[in-house]
Amino acid sequence: MSHHLPSCVTRRLWLLPAIGVAALAAAVWQPHSPEAIALGLRHAGPSLVHPLGTDHLGRDLLSRLMVGGARTALVVALVSASWVAIGTFMGLAAAALRGPFSAALLRVAEFFAVLPSLLAAIVVTSIIGLGPVSAGLALGLAGWGPFALLTYGLARRGLTEPYVLAARALGGSSPSLLRRHVWPAMWETQLSYLGTKLGRVAIAYAALAFLGLGADTARADWGAMMYEYRLFALDHPLLIIAPGTALMALCVALRVAIGGDNGERVPATSGDLASAVARAVEVQDVKGYSHAHGAGAGMAGADRPAI
Amino acid sequence: MGWMAREVGRALLLLWLASLAAFAVIRAMPADPAVITLLAFNLPVSDASVAALHHQWGLDRPLHEQYLRWLGDFLGGDWRRSFRTGEPILTEFGARLPVSLTIGLGGLGLAILLAVPLAEAAARRPHGWADHALDALTLGAQAVPAFWIASVLIWIFAVEFAWLRPLAGPTVERMILPIVIVALTGVGPLAAVYRAGMNEVGRSHYYQVALGKGGDPPTTLVRHGRRYAAMGLAAALTAEASWVIGGTAVVEVVFGLPGISHFLVESLAARDYFVVQAYLMVAVAWMVAVALTAQIVRHLLDPRERSRPNRSA
Repeated sequence: MSHHLPSCVTRRLWLLPAIGVAALAAAVWQPHSPEAIALGLRHAGPSLVHPLGTDHLGRDLLSRLMVGGARTALVVALVSASWVAIGTFMGLAAAALRGPFSAALLRVAEFFAVLPSLLAAIVVTSIIGLGPVSAGLALGLAGWGPFALLTYGLARRGLTEPYVLAARALGGSSPSLLRRHVWPAMWETQLSYLGTKLGRVAIAYAALAFLGLGADTARADWGAMMYEYRLFALDHPLLIIAPGTALMALCVALRVAIGGDNGERVPATSGDLASAVARAVEVQDVKGYSHAHGAGAGMAGADRPAI
Repeated sequence: MGWMAREVGRALLLLWLASLAAFAVIRAMPADPAVITLLAFNLPVSDASVAALHHQWGLDRPLHEQYLRWLGDFLGGDWRRSFRTGEPILTEFGARLPVSLTIGLGGLGLAILLAVPLAEAAARRPHGWADHALDALTLGAQAVPAFWIASVLIWIFAVEFAWLRPLAGPTVERMILPIVIVALTGVGPLAAVYRAGMNEVGRSHYYQVALGKGGDPPTTLVRHGRRYAAMGLAAALTAEASWVIGGTAVVEVVFGLPGISHFLVESLAARDYFVVQAYLMVAVAWMVAVALTAQIVRHLLDPRERSRPNRSA
């Protein structure tokens, strides 16, 4: 299933570096200091000096949005890095090893699939304080389980492919088989999985900041802004619309960059199957990944973030 | 029956791991619950009073002994008392669990009711309005934070038109919007899986045969695809159902509902050890139970599962 999937999925990977560069630029330069309070300028409307206006303390809304965006992007980057690193390593190791070692790795991965990662992040960030690094590491370290189980399922399936068996017969060792023959056929599915999840990671971080446990409220996080500005939603709707729209735009951009494109619908190999399959995999699915990873995959809904 | 014993064994192993993790994480929190409690009651924070509370709560014992005693009590149904409210935790959870379950399961049920007709309409007419609406909902579920929808809905229903009292009315009235929000985030993913199943049937030989017998395409597709698509939906439901506990935290907080996730958020600030431990146990137990049920149901329904003798690992 996995390897014939992505042919028709439109991916715009070039968007990823674009998002990264934009986030870096936003972190380095803002038109005004995001923390500069100017009580004389409270709730100023959009103007040339303040393109999105100012908030209830006279802080420049655009500058705060830019900082918040950079912080959110850092969280997303940290989470994807830890999922890919830990998940791929554990998944491939479990697939290459046999017997009790493999089983032990899978139990650990299942545990991190069952652990509700948003709750884990709430607990951890309320201990050490909420920032992009702590939240990114907490969400990343608590949520790699489903990614590892997906990797394991794909690798186990890959190892039984005829061409891989042939390579093994020629004397290839498990690690080299995985690297040269199995992984090249599965990374696109891994990427699709990430594509369906990264937007939710951004939302989870916003939810953490919105809940505000351990948060430094002076910091311009989108979630914290939505919490802080909700009181002014009626009189100054831009204050609440701007961070919400920014968050949605980032999620959509991430999704378009690496996720399956919802727009494609060729009946023969319909494009949105990428997301459906990635989802079904997470759910231990219809198509047989379940045999590879058993009960654990069924518990993988845990990483669903904030409702 | 061997497989069932094995599955149950795995579930128990996961629960045990969860109990260890819950214990370890909460003890790693820096602030002392005794100090927080004393401050909350405006009592003097002295070494003696802190030590007395520690003794009362059993926190002065070695960690391994604390863990084993707590595990024993927990399994025996004594979940200890909350440091903060002084009530037995089991009682607190008993009162709050129905609220969380109503929101979570109610939202899930509403999502299914909306997803099936939407997905069937989408499958009947590719590129029709239902198809595009479904795409938008799927993307929306991944891009729009629930607390943002919550703010908008509160504004529309409570402020602008005053149809509901989502923050001040009776509990039933306060639960309507949260259920709708949970449903809104679930509809897209569920309907997408259902539609994907339908589309797959659309490529099958038996569908071609049915068409050859002179069926009208959309009707035939729905008639023959329903069952297959429902299987996929059941699998997707497992994932959605597994976060019923824990997934509603933000909605509970935004609407101020007395659910268990709201209770957790309040308890974290007070370092209410036993509440946090109990909560994590309940959340993980729920997920394990959902997965186990799904596993057993599928095993009973799908003969292919049974004929597969050695499942890996």
